[in-house]
Amino acid sequence: MEKNLSDVEQRVQRYWYADGIGELIGGGMFVLLGIYFALQEFLGQNSMVGGILQASLVLLMIGGTFVSRRLVNTLKTRLTYPRTGYVEYQVDERGTRGRRILAVILAFVVSGLTIAFARLFQFFDSIVAVTGVIVALILVVLRAKSSGLARFYILGAASLVLGFALSLSGLPNGYSLGLFYGLMGVCSLISGGLTLRRYLKENPLPAETENG
Amino acid sequence: MGEDLRRLTEVDRLIHEPARLLIVTILASVASADFLFLQRETGLTKGNLSAHLSKLEEARYVKIEKTFKGKLPLTVCKLTAAGQKALTQYRQQLQDFMDKTA
Repeated sequence: MEKNLSDVEQRVQRYWYADGIGELIGGGMFVLLGIYFALQEFLGQNSMVGGILQASLVLLMIGGTFVSRRLVNTLKTRLTYPRTGYVEYQVDERGTRGRRILAVILAFVVSGLTIAFARLFQFFDSIVAVTGVIVALILVVLRAKSSGLARFYILGAASLVLGFALSLSGLPNGYSLGLFYGLMGVCSLISGGLTLRRYLKENPLPAETENG
Repeated sequence: MGEDLRRLTEVDRLIHEPARLLIVTILASVASADFLFLQRETGLTKGNLSAHLSKLEEARYVKIEKTFKGKLPLTVCKLTAAGQKALTQYRQQLQDFMDKTA
């Protein structure tokens, strides 16, 4: 009972990541995104299928977000809530607005950085390096800091290393970007899979499912 | 110091009780949580948790709803606006006391 109230609040926020389901679904989405970029590079932008693929990126992203949310909810309803309980998190309107403003600023910074890198270093594939920095920032700022979980720092570091390593690989843009998303997806799948395995082991299904 | 001590005795005793403070703090950081989650997080027995929740519900600090998530029956608890206000006030009172006595 002598728990620090802030620790209690952080532990409640951390509960969302306790089962690794989010990382599993996110990892799967990253692998699909990797396949998308590699396929686009393979087919070329001049081919009909390549053109369709390029045009449908926004639709695929929106559809992917929708499907992944449904999948996360379905898996949590089946695996997590019967074991350790149901929690609905608050949607902070001010926080959401702040994140949107941050995303717009980030988009401008990224565009500027990409152009600057491309002009300064001809041998350097700036897009994959900047992507690595952005994914690392998202993992550290939005996941690791709020949850305090070490595995998100590791994933952030992996993103930075992969981004810079692939930027020097000399591969065409689409392949290096595809490889980046594919490998990050695999890292996320491994992290999520191990977390889920430990969670299921530590939290067997209670004999009675009704609570209260 | 005497005045500060007198103020400390004015804190909301319903929230001041450690188990109920824990319940209210958990509920303040989410939109809602079910009985099983609260039981695991607080470490209280079913009977104990039920008793504390009933007291909080009586004071209208917590709203309890029986619902379903898919096929799973749930007892969902939410902190009301009155509960949120009481917790904020309680934390402020304690903070003021700590600041003055530090």
